[in-house]
Amino acid sequence: MPQRGNLTLHLVVIVGFLTLCPVLMLLLGSFMEGFGEFNGLTVQKYVTAYTDPGLQEMFVNTLIFTLGSATVATTLALFLAYMNTRTNIPFKFAFKVISIVPMMIPHILFCVSWALLLNPSNGILNKLFMDLFGLENAPFNIYSLWGMIMVEGLLDLPIAYLILAPAMQSFDVSLEESSKVCGATNWKTLFRITLPVLRPAILAAIILVIVRSLASFAAPSVLGIPGRIYVLPTHIYRMISTGFSADYGQAAAIGMSALAASIVLIYLYRYLTSESSRYVTISGRGFKPSVIDLKQYKYPLFTLVGVLSFVLIVLPIIVLLYASFLPYIMVPSLKAFSMMSLQNWNEVLSDPISLLSLKNSLMLGIGGATLGVMLSILVAYVIVKVRTKLSGVLESLSFLSFSFPGIVVGVGFMWFFVQTPLYGTIWALLIGYIATYLPYGIRPMSSAFVQIHASLEESSRVSGAGAFTTMKRIVVPLLIPGIVSGWILMATMFVRELTLSVVLSRPGSEVLAVQILRFSEDGLWGQLSALGIIMIVISSTLVVVVTWIGNHFSGMNVKG
Amino acid sequence: MQKFLSCLLGVAVATSVYAADVVKAKKEGTANLYANITAIEPLMEAFSQSTGIKALYTRVSTAKYVSTVLTEHMAGKLQADLLQGPLPVLQILKDKGVIDTNYVSPLAAGYPDWAVKEAGIVQFAIEYVAPIYNTQLVKEADVPKSYADLADPKWKDKIVMPDPSSHATTISWLVGLKEAKVFENDDAWMAFLKGLSANKPMFVKSFSPTPAPVESGEKLIAISMPKYIITKPKSPLGWANVGPILGSPRGISVAKNAPHPEAARLLMDYWLSRDTMKTLASKVGEYVLTPGIYPPIAGMDKAQVIPIRELSDDEIKTWGNTFKQIFYAK
Amino acid sequence: MQISIRGLTKIYQTEGKTFRALDDVNLTIDANTIFTLLGPSGCGKTTLLRSIVGLENPDSGEIRIGDEIVFSSEKNIYLPPEKRGLGMVFQTYAIWPHMDVFNNVAYPLQNQNVSKEEIKKRVAETLALVQLGGYENRPATKLSGGQQQRVALARALVAKPKVILFDEPLSNLDAKLREETRKELRAFLSELGITAIYVTHDRIEALALSDVIAVMRSGKIIEKGDPHKIYFRPDSQFVADFIGRANLLAGTIGTCEGEFALVETAIGKIKAMNPKAFPVNTKVVVCVRPEFIRLSSLRDERENNLFKGIMQHLVFIGEAYEADIKIGDTLLTTTVSPTKSIQEGDEIAIAFDAQHAFIVSE
Repeated sequence: MPQRGNLTLHLVVIVGFLTLCPVLMLLLGSFMEGFGEFNGLTVQKYVTAYTDPGLQEMFVNTLIFTLGSATVATTLALFLAYMNTRTNIPFKFAFKVISIVPMMIPHILFCVSWALLLNPSNGILNKLFMDLFGLENAPFNIYSLWGMIMVEGLLDLPIAYLILAPAMQSFDVSLEESSKVCGATNWKTLFRITLPVLRPAILAAIILVIVRSLASFAAPSVLGIPGRIYVLPTHIYRMISTGFSADYGQAAAIGMSALAASIVLIYLYRYLTSESSRYVTISGRGFKPSVIDLKQYKYPLFTLVGVLSFVLIVLPIIVLLYASFLPYIMVPSLKAFSMMSLQNWNEVLSDPISLLSLKNSLMLGIGGATLGVMLSILVAYVIVKVRTKLSGVLESLSFLSFSFPGIVVGVGFMWFFVQTPLYGTIWALLIGYIATYLPYGIRPMSSAFVQIHASLEESSRVSGAGAFTTMKRIVVPLLIPGIVSGWILMATMFVRELTLSVVLSRPGSEVLAVQILRFSEDGLWGQLSALGIIMIVISSTLVVVVTWIGNHFSGMNVKG
Repeated sequence: MQKFLSCLLGVAVATSVYAADVVKAKKEGTANLYANITAIEPLMEAFSQSTGIKALYTRVSTAKYVSTVLTEHMAGKLQADLLQGPLPVLQILKDKGVIDTNYVSPLAAGYPDWAVKEAGIVQFAIEYVAPIYNTQLVKEADVPKSYADLADPKWKDKIVMPDPSSHATTISWLVGLKEAKVFENDDAWMAFLKGLSANKPMFVKSFSPTPAPVESGEKLIAISMPKYIITKPKSPLGWANVGPILGSPRGISVAKNAPHPEAARLLMDYWLSRDTMKTLASKVGEYVLTPGIYPPIAGMDKAQVIPIRELSDDEIKTWGNTFKQIFYAK
Repeated sequence: MQISIRGLTKIYQTEGKTFRALDDVNLTIDANTIFTLLGPSGCGKTTLLRSIVGLENPDSGEIRIGDEIVFSSEKNIYLPPEKRGLGMVFQTYAIWPHMDVFNNVAYPLQNQNVSKEEIKKRVAETLALVQLGGYENRPATKLSGGQQQRVALARALVAKPKVILFDEPLSNLDAKLREETRKELRAFLSELGITAIYVTHDRIEALALSDVIAVMRSGKIIEKGDPHKIYFRPDSQFVADFIGRANLLAGTIGTCEGEFALVETAIGKIKAMNPKAFPVNTKVVVCVRPEFIRLSSLRDERENNLFKGIMQHLVFIGEAYEADIKIGDTLLTTTVSPTKSIQEGDEIAIAFDAQHAFIVSE
């Protein structure tokens, strides 16, 4: 099939150009003697980086941290997605929103909120438990490995959710029904049929969360450094902050191990799901997901999910809202309430740079996600449907800059963009965002692709439609749930993107996250919280609008 | 401001052939300042208003300063006209030929000799480090009176500070305490370090996250910067006068091959003026080097503020390792 | 095992409208028969099947399987599907893609307390029964459509269920394979002597497979009987039309003559069987199957039902011509032997016997 081969090649070139350039820059940098100057090769940076005595402990921490976060995020996402898509639990829409809210909160704010709730000295929840149960010591210490895992797991919950929910939604229920007719209980059906059939999506979720937490900085820095627990990103930070002329070459050298781990994971994933091309679950006929009646468990489960969501997600947001009305962070008290005012909000809303950054971020979110999704559709198509050696290369390429720790990859992009006329413009941000977060679009899309039977496309090709027409008329409409997921992931990511923005943003191309970082560096937590809430509102609006449009279109398809 | 500026420009034209050419500067239209100092937007705004030259403020954090500027410089795309940063950073950049060493602002004359001794760099302020505390939770009598007081076991689990094994400024500060002979001898200094370590301070990545735990009462004392008392006027923060205050000098330089050289010089002159320094002190809480100007923090005008010797990156790494062994001892 | 259903009703609410998927269904399915639910899509046949197997929870009524009440709205009984001990073949086969053939088939036994050796033995037996012996270790995803269908059948049979249910199991097979499988399935089920309930919208499948056919429409069973009765003596115009090709002529009963009646229609008087003994002046429909209409000579006065017309269309379909004959404004369909030399536009006469025409209700 020459046409498909061409498509693959074009995409390899495009995606390769986007993601390989910064990574190649970093690779070169890690072998150079001087900073950013291409003179004299050396492996000294690798030697120094990998002979650090604290390295082993750091790697063990990183392993526990990433696997733990992936377990927390995927388990919670599975539970919430199952409840939402497959049962008659009440107030579904609310849960759907809640499971993607952490996506929209600036991560640093979410972590600070949790520190406020669960720090061992005067954490609000700790105090509450101490008063309630008459405890001597605080029962929880958020500055610990489990605290980091819980918070990172929650922050990555939306990634897992948005991959799993569409897969569950398009699940062929007759696979479960036949299990029940064969005498299996709901539980047994869940563990022997539903979860194994969903294996490709579950693995995708786990791997994406591992890769993301490997690059994450917020939880490791806000919670890990006070707990004196160092993981890869904070190790790198430590490396480049000790001294004024940061050695990014050495940081890149350490970052290479994250890159290697990610590539191994991706190949492992491809190996484990090599049968998945036949896990075809959307048949040609219309399907209606059957709803499991929870009966007497309906309200107990609702309460459980409700309390979980409240504690894990709503509470930190309430803390934010609370902080946005205060001149400085304080524990709730009568005095605190008497000091509340709208001053932070006024200052944020009258600050021209904050307003400009709002506008830029909104544009980057909408434009970037739209372009990103279009590219992701093509890439996912090649990865899932074409499955040649070259498409495997494409998949690995798409993960390259994503799996690099953010602090380092930002510099890689800077080294790359400074060679182009785009440097210092908003377009550099746009391209950088898409290149780095391409897996956010590709993952949900390929989970959705896996479920579309080849015959649906083939019949279109036979009907005289070319590859692109088939995409547009047949594949894309069936992909709507995946497209919506991918768009939401990308748009909310772009609205709060920090690691690249902080390196590439210049006067005129300020974005929300950079503005938030400024507030945080100045310790202006009130304004920070206010801007954070504005960010959440913007992202939520985008999510609601896109979900609505998605429902509208898939509704049209069913009727048409 | 208008009056000040015309006066300033008068002085500039009259006294130095190198002084900024206002007409040319206006023609250039823009001046771009790369700075790690924060909250200076009002100063930029005032400059733009009075000269009609657009002042851009590009904020670059210390950790990324050298890499950002060098990357742009080597690609021939350095957009900065004026570079403000910690002295060691500017020295590194000077070595790489990024800094214009020819321009001497006539206003540099108002600074101490040691602050202008190096060609091309004017040291205008000191990033001063001192303990700050929660004024509502720490009784006046309990406020530490000396550095050694910070090692008192009563502050166990009550202190927050930047990570002394990696945060460059904090490492320099601890070394500064030793070299400035703040303690009787090196043993007393080491005893202080060990005592501080025994108090299990909570580490954060830099100074900026230090005030928040003190405000909220999570911790009582932070090894931080007293300037937060000015930038966060409503917070219950006070500073503890524990002896001589140490800090890294802040410098400012004109960039070599600046895209807008005249505007850069004009902005430099403006930056070093007494009025600007007054604003920096009163609004941003900076400890500026213009004689007679102090941040409006009680007792600061009497305090002894000493610039720290600039440490090389190798020294910082070595000391960082030493402090790691002390502070991370199990 | 006999199945009896009383007053079964299932109502769906969609977009504010109520839709009665099952509307007071009463039905007895005798033990060891192949029972087919036939009807157009949306008639409720699948809902009825799913209610029997327990995948739907009806709103009211009662279902007994043998002596056991598996559903009763009055007694508040609802036995989940896993406790009903039935076998089912799904339309999509629902072969689990992550298991091999053995595990797919063994699954029902694995859900009971059956020893490993016993499972192995019975899976092998059942696979042999469906002619898939030796396929145990084949991954489910490497099976053809026909093989998947057999695995699904083996899976439904392996636990020796009381009743086996089929939800349009042949609709995903190609025509030739479908015809073969139909025959095999009929023989197979008769030999097994099992109660089978079969849902389809394909009338030929229903006729070929069933002992008893129940025709459904709008959530109701409108007629039930053996295939001959349903084809030759249906009660209603709908069933007559649905079960096979039919010429339907509306009219009024003029005179009754024993088991016959004369009906006034648009093409003239028709003498037809009147099995329901409709009285004079009843508005009825006369049904004549195309295969009973023959070409006749105009002079043959002995014919009961003789009509003149014009040959409108002739379509060659291999074994015969399909012919539309225009009589007045009415079109009648018949088949004509390809040996006859007739052309479109010819004036012709047709005739059919009175016992091959029958009167149905409107």
